[in-house]
Amino acid sequence: MSASYWSSTQRRYWTFTKPELAELRRKLDEQERGLITQYPLPERRLLNIYFNLQIAKIGRRLQSPVVRQQCLATAQVYVRRFYTKVEIRRTNPYLVLATALYLACKVEEQPQHIRHVLGEACHVWPDFNLSDISKIGECEFTLISEMNSQLIIHHPYRSLADLQNSFPLAQDESALAWSVINDSFLTDLPLLHPPHIIAVTAMFLAVVLKPSQSTLQVNAAGVSGALQALSNPQAAATPAASSRMRKFVDWLADSSVDMEAVVDCTQELISLYELWETYNEKVCKEQIARFMKARGLDK
Amino acid sequence: MPAGGYTSKRRVMERYKIIGFISSGTYGRVYKAQGKNGIVGEFAIKKFKPDKEGEPQYTGLSQSAIREMALCTELSHLNVVSTREIILEDKCIFIVFEYAEHDLLQIIHHHTTPQRHCIPAPTIRSILWQLLNGLLYLHRNWVMHRDLKPANIMVTSAGSVKIGDLGLARLFFKPLQSLYMGDKVVVTIWYRAPELLLGSRHYTPAIDMWAVGCIFAELLSLRPIFKGEEAKMDAKKQVPFQRNQMLKIAEVLGVPNVKQWPLLSSMPEYSQLSTLSAGGNSRVHRPIGLENWYNGVLKQNGYPPVEKSPTGEKKAAENPGPEGLDLLKALLTYDPQQRITAEQALQHKYFTTGEKPSMNCFEGITTKYPSRRVSQEDNDIRTGSLPGTKRSGLPDDSLRPTKRLKEG
Repeated sequence: MSASYWSSTQRRYWTFTKPELAELRRKLDEQERGLITQYPLPERRLLNIYFNLQIAKIGRRLQSPVVRQQCLATAQVYVRRFYTKVEIRRTNPYLVLATALYLACKVEEQPQHIRHVLGEACHVWPDFNLSDISKIGECEFTLISEMNSQLIIHHPYRSLADLQNSFPLAQDESALAWSVINDSFLTDLPLLHPPHIIAVTAMFLAVVLKPSQSTLQVNAAGVSGALQALSNPQAAATPAASSRMRKFVDWLADSSVDMEAVVDCTQELISLYELWETYNEKVCKEQIARFMKARGLDK
Repeated sequence: MPAGGYTSKRRVMERYKIIGFISSGTYGRVYKAQGKNGIVGEFAIKKFKPDKEGEPQYTGLSQSAIREMALCTELSHLNVVSTREIILEDKCIFIVFEYAEHDLLQIIHHHTTPQRHCIPAPTIRSILWQLLNGLLYLHRNWVMHRDLKPANIMVTSAGSVKIGDLGLARLFFKPLQSLYMGDKVVVTIWYRAPELLLGSRHYTPAIDMWAVGCIFAELLSLRPIFKGEEAKMDAKKQVPFQRNQMLKIAEVLGVPNVKQWPLLSSMPEYSQLSTLSAGGNSRVHRPIGLENWYNGVLKQNGYPPVEKSPTGEKKAAENPGPEGLDLLKALLTYDPQQRITAEQALQHKYFTTGEKPSMNCFEGITTKYPSRRVSQEDNDIRTGSLPGTKRSGLPDDSLRPTKRLKEG
């Protein structure tokens, strides 16, 4: 189920400029100053990594029929949107995650029974001692209401497929681009850029990073040269750039893609990969548990 | 969740005054309402009932409610019913739609009582034009309606045609529903495309185009063109082959064959087709054909013969003419891949010959259609959810199938 991105509620109501997003969060923080100082939490993106892993855990277990990546992605965008409007320390994040996935599966036409979702949530999160589906049902109302019933999400996955009609990727590049898109959901990118920009960025990184590399968490230096080429197509003509890279930059120059946005996306992703090194699941888990217990949100 | 649970920031009763009850279905009920406290105009409020009546509880929203909510907020077109807002309150969902005084079912009905008199050709042309514009918009946005039928096509008092009931087309069977629908329910299949009757698992926008063809035919003849009888699901909840419906189609169009429809033989129910003509059904052997059907209907319903001026041009648009037949044939084409698309249909000579179709389907006619019936018996939107009550609109409505096919 989907409609055109250009007239979508995603574009009209849920795509922000960086200052707009910062202002939204600043306002929310101001209202909740006391809570925030009392219960410190890891950096937002580190929490996102944690949330993503948690959603994926349930997703894997709900495998009949297989919950596709699309549902996980939609659930993550819901979580991201929701927490621009509601302070995380006022919620049971596990309940929000389970509900977001339950709702996303319905919207993506892969409905899962609410009891099934609840059962898997209880299994995956032993601390999640909610035994009643009505909690998820109620949380669903809150989620939908905070999102103004705007539930349809346009993802970069489809853009990636479309763009390959004009710039085909090799199979390994394509797989890499796909996983870069998966990573984009850990950042604010889904709230900042249209899906095709994120898809172009993923293609760019896939071409630059060469699938031969075993890991995506590359050194920033490797990318900086390519970034230069992006912002200055002439630079790509230098012998240092690979011919594949040159082709890609030429193709980009011919398209009317917003280069500045692609550069910005690339930087966001590189910065994510650097930060990822400091990710510590235990810390996330404990700090969340602390405010949940103290505030009685786990009941 | 935020401590204290969910509370709605907007309340239905603070924003709308309920005028009365319009209809009910498997999803819930529809009320007519008037805006208050600064909200101006009339509205139709659709209330989705929770799965369990009595002691309402949060049980998770139904797939169809989610689908309709998501689509209604996303879509906006002159020929698609617009949504003013969605309110989540008291464990129920209220979708507030713009109000439309009429629908095609009611308009067709008006032309059959007290005696049969045809819907003017320009009115039909305008209705179809607007319907196809709305449908093109939906299809361009990857939305298939899947349940087009006269009752779902709204018409405002200004003659604007609006596609309604979005997202309800695929309704998942829930055991609880049979309890609500205490009395016997007939399931409509009159507008269902042949590929679905033959068990196709692939929905394409072409299924909506078939339905448009059926609606076009019904506007002309004032009766459903393929009025088959639904075969009920068996004890194992298997959907049976809809033999009678397929038969009704074959009686007009003939039994489809591989020459007209190359992929026909790969349809799951293909083998059933050969049995259609068994038992010596002569009407299947000698179908009347769409052309005879069309000409017969025009004559029977008193459309004036097409008059040609000396220059050979059609004089008046009082008769849908050969262009109408040609479009009808293109819509009721067996092979979904060859069936006309919404985009092609809008460029068809039925629309391009003569004046541009009006965006007001009542333009130039004096007929006054009755207002939508609104019942006062149950106008309490908060408690009104008694099961089994049918739409109060039309006297013969109970004869009309209203329920949809369950998702296979």
